[in-house]
Parts: sequence; structure tokens; C-alpha cells
Amino acid sequence: MSKKPEWFKGIFPALVTPFTKDDRVDEAAYRELIRYVLPHVNGIVPCGTTGEFVYMLEDERKRAIEIALDEVNGRVPVVAGTAYPSTRETVKMTAWARDAGVTAALVAAPYYLKPSFNEVYDHYDALNKLGVPLILYNIPQCAGTHYQWWTTEGMAYLDNVVGIKDSSGDMPYLMAVFEKVRGKIGIFTGHDEIVPAALAMGADGAILASANVIPDVWQTIYKAVLSGDLATAQTLMARIQRFVRILARQGPTQAVKEALQLLGLPIGDSRHPMIKGDAFRREDYEEVRGVLEELGKIPPRPMTYHLYAGAPGVQGQFPKPPAAPSEVRDMTLLVGEGFAGPPFSELAHVDLLIGRKDGPVGKAIERALAEPRPGHELRIVFERPRTLLVPTVTVRTKKQAEMVYEHAAGGVIMALEALVKDGTLPAALLDDIVLIANVFVHPGASNRWRVRINNFKAMKAATRKALEGRPTLDELIAEKESARHPFRYAP
Amino acid sequence: MPAKLPWLRGVFPALVTPFTKDEEVDEAALRALVRHLMPHVDGFVPCGTTGEFPYMTPDEQKRVIAIVADEVAGRKPIIAGTGAAGTKETILLARNAKEAGANACLVVTPFFLHPSDKGIYQHFYDVAMAVDIPIILYNIPQVVDAYLPRNVVEDLSDIPNIVGIKDSSGNLTYTMEILEMVQGRIDVFIGHDEVVLPALAGGCTGMILASANVYPEVWQKVYAAVQEGRIEEARALQRSVQKLSRIFCRYGGGLAVKQALNMMGIPVGQARRPLKVGGSLIHEDRAEIQLELERLGKIAPAEDPYAPPAGPLAGRFGALGISADQVKAASLRVGTGAAGAEPENVQIDLVAGPKDGIVGEVFALQLTYPRHGYEALTTILEPNLTVRPSTLIVPTAELKNLRQANMIYGPTQAAVARAIVDALEDGTIPQAAMDTHVMLVQASVHPKALDRHALYQAVLAAAGAAIRQAFGANR
Repeated sequence: MSKKPEWFKGIFPALVTPFTKDDRVDEAAYRELIRYVLPHVNGIVPCGTTGEFVYMLEDERKRAIEIALDEVNGRVPVVAGTAYPSTRETVKMTAWARDAGVTAALVAAPYYLKPSFNEVYDHYDALNKLGVPLILYNIPQCAGTHYQWWTTEGMAYLDNVVGIKDSSGDMPYLMAVFEKVRGKIGIFTGHDEIVPAALAMGADGAILASANVIPDVWQTIYKAVLSGDLATAQTLMARIQRFVRILARQGPTQAVKEALQLLGLPIGDSRHPMIKGDAFRREDYEEVRGVLEELGKIPPRPMTYHLYAGAPGVQGQFPKPPAAPSEVRDMTLLVGEGFAGPPFSELAHVDLLIGRKDGPVGKAIERALAEPRPGHELRIVFERPRTLLVPTVTVRTKKQAEMVYEHAAGGVIMALEALVKDGTLPAALLDDIVLIANVFVHPGASNRWRVRINNFKAMKAATRKALEGRPTLDELIAEKESARHPFRYAP
Repeated sequence: MPAKLPWLRGVFPALVTPFTKDEEVDEAALRALVRHLMPHVDGFVPCGTTGEFPYMTPDEQKRVIAIVADEVAGRKPIIAGTGAAGTKETILLARNAKEAGANACLVVTPFFLHPSDKGIYQHFYDVAMAVDIPIILYNIPQVVDAYLPRNVVEDLSDIPNIVGIKDSSGNLTYTMEILEMVQGRIDVFIGHDEVVLPALAGGCTGMILASANVYPEVWQKVYAAVQEGRIEEARALQRSVQKLSRIFCRYGGGLAVKQALNMMGIPVGQARRPLKVGGSLIHEDRAEIQLELERLGKIAPAEDPYAPPAGPLAGRFGALGISADQVKAASLRVGTGAAGAEPENVQIDLVAGPKDGIVGEVFALQLTYPRHGYEALTTILEPNLTVRPSTLIVPTAELKNLRQANMIYGPTQAAVARAIVDALEDGTIPQAAMDTHVMLVQASVHPKALDRHALYQAVLAAAGAAIRQAFGANR
């Protein structure tokens, strides 16, 4: 007998919970987010893991669910997260959610203390008596308990268990779940990185962190797989794979929120201890931004460039978030830093100078070309804008030379081509500005392709950061205490 | 009930296997290493993990054991590593070891494929039955990817020629569990250099260690101090080698130990590929080994005087290309600060000026012409968190190795960055300067600086003082 509800299919975003600057649930922003995703989704999930349910007080969780129910107003199902570590609290919250009118409750495995599997079963058995449809939720990365397939199978026989969300990303486990309970309950994946594979095997849908940001892309992938068009699904997935990998792995709550900020949604940041520039690293921010640009989610916005303070402005435009500055006041000497890794041996670190041809940067390049130093070869690697490549570490071996002048330089050139093409470096100024890229390539680097890609990323980020004045004073002050320089400590 | 071996106690080095440049076993170097260690150890362990046993053929292993036995000539016991993934090869290796003159075998948990409890038991049982030589079990989950299950150890401890277990896990709950399970029937050796003292205090009767190639005498003192109840002394000794032991244990094992021995003038060559310096052991940590060996008195320290720039402050930036006259003519902001106790003493000399003046020019030139050993660094709180006013840090003394470089691009860089952000926050540096000015910091760090925490604090104080002088109200 199938208990799989008709509504339990498709794409459900695991909604982030926006908080105000004074750290309260931001109702207006929450409603705006729901309106943003609603046209593209089959349901929504308030108070899931991405919704930071573990950082919210009971009243706040209830409030978020109420707002979601009110904003949706019956148009799509609302599956609310109601998990607590203890059975007692979970029963209380789940009963409340039932009375509030949720479509189903999503209940993560009891976490922190590690109950045995008979205790896990009894936990859901107690919830089963409440009469509200239940979605099991396997997320060992956070809960610390990975359902065994026989646990899942047994719980699927509980009357009110109508589905499971598996966020483990453990494909063999998911295959066993298909084998045991397909058709009996609905099966969702909750791991953004394997969605098409899970759908192709017969998953009914996906509850996803990244569906806050790109619900439309997910809906297209879902429909493509459903209609047997795997080629379309594969093509789209290839475009978003690195985006969803970062969102799934690098602190999803803050990652999703920063991605939404890039789109201009007033979402705010995660509650502490999740902070900016931590699990979701600055290099991840640049990557996420890059993918959103490629997807056309971040449109070009105007930038005015002044070669020197008070000089007439040159108009340009390139893809940037609404909050980015719209003016570069003085291009005498701009400094940008770009760091991209891992791995350690192939990490890239670019110290970039952008400046006027007739300013300090231009003078340094002229002198470099006029006074070459033996054993320390400087190369112009790009003509418009004229760009000098300087190796940070003295090149001593043939292998190092290849890494620097072929692969790191290749990455820098790729970045410059991209930056000229998208307008970050405006066409009107290409003859007036010059660049010096001081690139660090570790003497132990072996993986040529990674050196190239990391230098591409670092160069692109350094240029954007130099022009956009990042990091800002506020960011520096906010992070000066928590900053952890990787080489500050003993090995 | 096995008969315990009276000699199974004390300090045993897990010998590295010296190789020549063309990766052959280097007999002369192996003999020299054994002679070097002889006075300080209670026995030898050739062909262990540190000896790169998985990279050697059975014939090579037999030969290495025979060379060690010949050199030792019965003066000390020899425990030969005879581990292999499969039972058949393990038996072969154990028989070889006995023929070559070993007194006991060290048999690692079967690796690569992962048998369960019964298969593991059967492996050791079959080996024990097949050979006529005492056997020491060997738990090292870091490389086997599985623990030797304690129930299996309990049962194996009843087999007459199984006489001991070496636990290299470093997991003291496991060590204590094994001590409890075997109830003294067999001896428990510690094989993890970082936890020798607590393991001995908990009841281990000896140690087989990678680092006993390098400082066996320290471990002898630790062993004696624990036996005699002098725990404070043992603690101080363990602490004195803690960092180096950590580097040996975690970054390449035999590879790292070989670097230390080579530095000490006991040539043992390099590890076999794929291990290499720059891989498992990064160059920075290799340089750290050198300094730690200097501190332990194992190698003579290179003479490296600390000589920060002296004289009038305005005249200290000549190496960067800014003369005293230019400082005065352009009214550049300059400041200096010194702090810290030797060898974590530092001096910070700072000059700040507008981007379109001499400081801006020098800033660009420093990044264009890095001087080897004096490479300029941008100032960051951490990667991707650059401070402004944009600031370059330039060392005043040549950085001779990556560890010295690490002191600049680690603690010094982080501390200068922190001092700048603190000064922005409290208004010492005006916010407008973030976009209009650049700064150059000459950092004089003692070449022997080693304590990164102390160095960070010293740089933070010195850079703070320099900034206050340069930007303060009384300048």
C-alpha cells in the first residue's frame, strides 16, 4: 500500500531564515524570499537545516512557520522542520506544527547524543501517534546518526510516515532505500550535488539549500529528468555543480544567504557562530558570484572610473551585486589581493597593482623593462591592458619556470580575457591603465591544471577586489578578532 | 601463557632504511646509523613503518635485517618488521627474519583489504603457528585504516609466541584498553612519539619510535624518570621534543626522520618515491626540523646575528630607495617600535605616504623587483583579507630558509595587519588614508625566532608603536 502523497514531488527549497540586524526573524525579508522562489517550486520547507532551526528559540521557529504558512496561503505544500534532540520536545513542536496547519513535518534524526537505532525508531514511533504526515530526515553530516537502511525500512511502515529526505549524499544507502521502500513512501534527496542521479533512479523530488537561489534551474532539471531528457539535465547540472558543491559543503546557511545577497535580496547573515569568511570562505564567495554571473543572475551594473581624483569619469559596466560601489575614484594605484586554493601546493596568491600608465605602476613597469635582472625574468603577459607578471618566489628550476611562465601566466591571461570581455576592465581605459600581477607559485607545485585554474580565480578576484575596494573597513573591523592566518601557528 | 621476553623493554628505534641516490639499500649508511645509535638504545627495529617496509622487496628486507644483525653482533636484540597484507607473505617474511638473525618479529595488522575480526585473528594465529620466533602485534590505524580489535588482542595474548603489542595509534583510550585486556600476559609498547610519557605512566613497558633514530637519549631519560617516579622531569623532557615528534609522526614519518639525520651528519639519503620533501613533508617543516635540532643541541646553530637598522629613523629606508632627504622633503610619516624578548625580539620601521608620491613608487617597485630573501609581502589578516592603507612588509635581514620566511609571512604579517586595523578602528590612522596612502614596513625579526605566539605579540606591540608615532598627534 502506498502512502506516498500526491503533493510530495518536485523541488522544495530548504528556506533560509532571514534575521534583522538586531537578530530577530525578519518577516518582511522572509516573505520576499518566499515570493522570489514560489513561481518555481513545488513546495517550501521552513525551519530546516538551512533555515538554522538549531539556532532558533521555540517561539522563533513557530513564528517562521506561521509566516511561511501565511505567505504561501495554501498555494503549495509547507513541510516544516520540527526536530529537537529529545522526543519530548520534538513531539511538542510537531503537534504544534500539525495544529498550525503544516502539510507535513520534516524530522531530522535525534542529534547530539547518539541514540541507538531502536531508540531512533521509538522516537519516530512516538511522532507517528500525532496524526500529522511525517517526512524522515537523514542528515548524518549534522545529526551524527546515519539511518541504517533497515531503520528506514522499518520506519516506513509507520502509518504516518509518508516520505524520507536523505541528505547524506550516500548513494549506496539511497539505492538500498529505493530497493526497500520505493512506492511505499516518497523519497527525496536533500543533497544538492547528486540530484539528477537521484531523480534518474526514481527519487520523487529534492529539498535543497541551493533551491533558495536557483529554484528555476532546479525546476528545469527536475522536469528534464522526468521527461527522460537526461542530456539537458546533465548540461544544466554541469553549469551549477561547483555552485551547489560550495553551497552544500561550505556552511550552507551563510553560503546561501550571501548568494541571495548577491542577487539583491535583503537576507542578512547567519546567526553566530556561523560567520562571514569562515566555512563559507572568501574564495567561495568569488566562485559563487562567478557562477551566478554565468547564469545571468547578476546583471551588468554601471561603474564610473576616474583615472585620477577629479578626472572626468569613464562609464563602464560589468556584472556586480547591487551593493557594490559604482565609482572608482582614483586609479593612481589600486591594490588587490586574490587567494585561491586548495590544494596547498597549488594554491595561488596574487598581489595585484592596477594603476595609471603615468603613475607609480606605469613607472615600475617601464623600469622593469628597461632594467631586466638576470635570473628574475619579468614578462609582459598581456597587451591591453599592459600586464607585467612578476614571480613572488625566485625561479630556480625548470619545473618552477614552467609552472610560473606557462601555467600561472596562463591563468592570469584567462582572467584578463574574461575581465576585458565582461567589462570589468573597460574598453575605453585599456590603453591608459597598466597592471602588475605578483604571483606566488609554491615551489612544491605539481598539478599544472590546478596552478592555472587557481591563478585564474585569484587574478579575477584580485582585480574585482581592487576596483570594488574590498575588503571594506567594516569587514576588516568585524573580522580582525576571528581572522586566523594559516601560517601564524607552529606546525 | 607466553613466556615474557626479559629484554623487551626500554627504547627501540624504528630504524630508517638508508637508500643511495639510485634508491638502493645503502649498507654502509645503515651500519653507521646502527653504530651511532648503539650506546643509547635497548634494541633495534629494522623494516618497520619508518623503515619504509612496504616499499621494499622481501629480499631487500631480509638483507636489511641481516646487515643490522651483523652490525649489532648479538649485543642488543633485534625486532624485525615482517608485516604484509597477506598471511602467506607475512610467514615468509617472518621466516626470513629469523634466518637473518632477528630475535622477534613485529607484525602489523593486515592492510589494504579489510578482513573482519575473525580474519585478523586467523592471520596472526597462522603466522604464530608457522614460525618459531616471538611475535609482537602492531596496531597502527593511521596507515592500516583499521584498528587491531581489542578482543582479538585479548585472545592472541594467550598464544605462547605472541609476546607483545606495539600501539602506534596515539589513542590513549585504546592503549589503556589493551593494557586492561591483556592483564600483563604480554608487554605493551608505545609506538606514538607524541604520547610516550602518558603511555609509560599508564603501564607501557617500552617504546618503538621513529624519533628514537634522532634523540634516543631523551627517550632513555623519559623512560628512567617514569620508572623512578620523577614525573615532573619526564614531562619537561617530553615537552622538549613535542613539536619535533609531532612533525616526525604526522609529516612523512621516515621521510622527516631522514632529513633530521642528514642534517646531523648521519647520511641516510632520501625516502623512496612517491614520498618526497615538498610533498608529505613540506619545505617549511623541513626548515622547522633544523631549528628544533639546533635547540636540542643536535646540530651547531648557524651564526645569524640580529642587527636591525639603527640610526636616525628617517635614514633607515635607504634599502627601499627612500632617502632621509626624501622623507623630510615629502613630510612622510615615519614611526618605529621595538618589542619582545630574544629571540622573539623585533623592530618595526614604518613609512607612510600618498600613493602618487615616492612611497607609492617604491610600493610598486618592491612588488616588481622582489629581492631574493627580501621579498615584499602585502599585509593581510589572513588570505583574502587584505588591510588598507595597502602596506608592504619587507624583511631587513635576508631570509635564509622557508622557516624564517614563514615567521614573516605568518605571525609578523598577521600582527602588522592587526595593528593597522586596530589603528583604523581607534582613529589613529584616519579612514581617508585607506584610499589615499600606502605604507612600507621594514620588519626586523630575529633569525632564530621560534615561538610564533611570542613573535606575534612582539610584532603587534612594535607595529602599534610605529603607527602611533607615524600618525599620532605629536608627530
